[in-house]
Amino acid sequence: MPLNDRTGRGHGEDRLDLILHALSDCTRRSLLKRLSAGPAMISELAEPFDMTRVAVSKHLRVLERARLISRTIEGRVHRCELSAEPLREVERWLMGYRAFWNQTLESLARYVESSDP
Amino acid sequence: MSDPPKPQTDGYVAALVVRRLIRATPEKLFAAWTRPEQLIQWWGPEGVSCPTAEIDLRPGGGYRIANRFADGALIWISGVFEVVEIPHRLVYTWQLEAVSASIERVSISFEPRDTGTEVVVTHERIGSAAARISHERGWNGCLDGLVRYAQGL
Repeated sequence: MPLNDRTGRGHGEDRLDLILHALSDCTRRSLLKRLSAGPAMISELAEPFDMTRVAVSKHLRVLERARLISRTIEGRVHRCELSAEPLREVERWLMGYRAFWNQTLESLARYVESSDP
Repeated sequence: MSDPPKPQTDGYVAALVVRRLIRATPEKLFAAWTRPEQLIQWWGPEGVSCPTAEIDLRPGGGYRIANRFADGALIWISGVFEVVEIPHRLVYTWQLEAVSASIERVSISFEPRDTGTEVVVTHERIGSAAARISHERGWNGCLDGLVRYAQGL
């Protein structure tokens, strides 16, 4: 028996997977943090990291796929900019866990407080 | 994937802490949380009932909790106890069987206060989006309202 009806939310789930994957790496989170201060060129982004431009570009592509950053190209200069909207999806998803535990603790409180001698 | 290797401990995206003050002793709450005959009477959020639970309360022991959703779907939560400190603290792994491959971790502490016990739930290693699905089923859209409420929009 299929436990989950994925129809109608498959797209959202795929997007969330992309976003969470993008966030699950400290280099990529550092890149996002740097971009939260303002747009930057790839060479500027690569500077603080002990890695090649190619490696940084790979990270940026992961962030791009998750739509966490956007890139503008002027001639040979690639500029990256933070796009924070997908983070709201993560927040909503995490709120699901919060709701689960809040309601579960509510239920525990009702149980023990009503069974008090 | 073409990504560079990443540190093993850094793959987990999210964690959250939920706490609640309850008018009861840590002993009583610990028992409610760890004895199957008590757990099944209160476990789960609204719209979820718990028909059965198995708990082997010792470090390395396993547990399994059935969650029956309003639409009839049955989802098992299972894991292994890592820390058992009666009546103060519990740490166990947490997995939604058949829903999510990710193994998360839940810590519960029962902290005595003047007016009762503060129960603190820390849910860590939330690294997969799949777990949300089963939760959503039971909540029937209350999530949006809750998000608005919590954010004061």
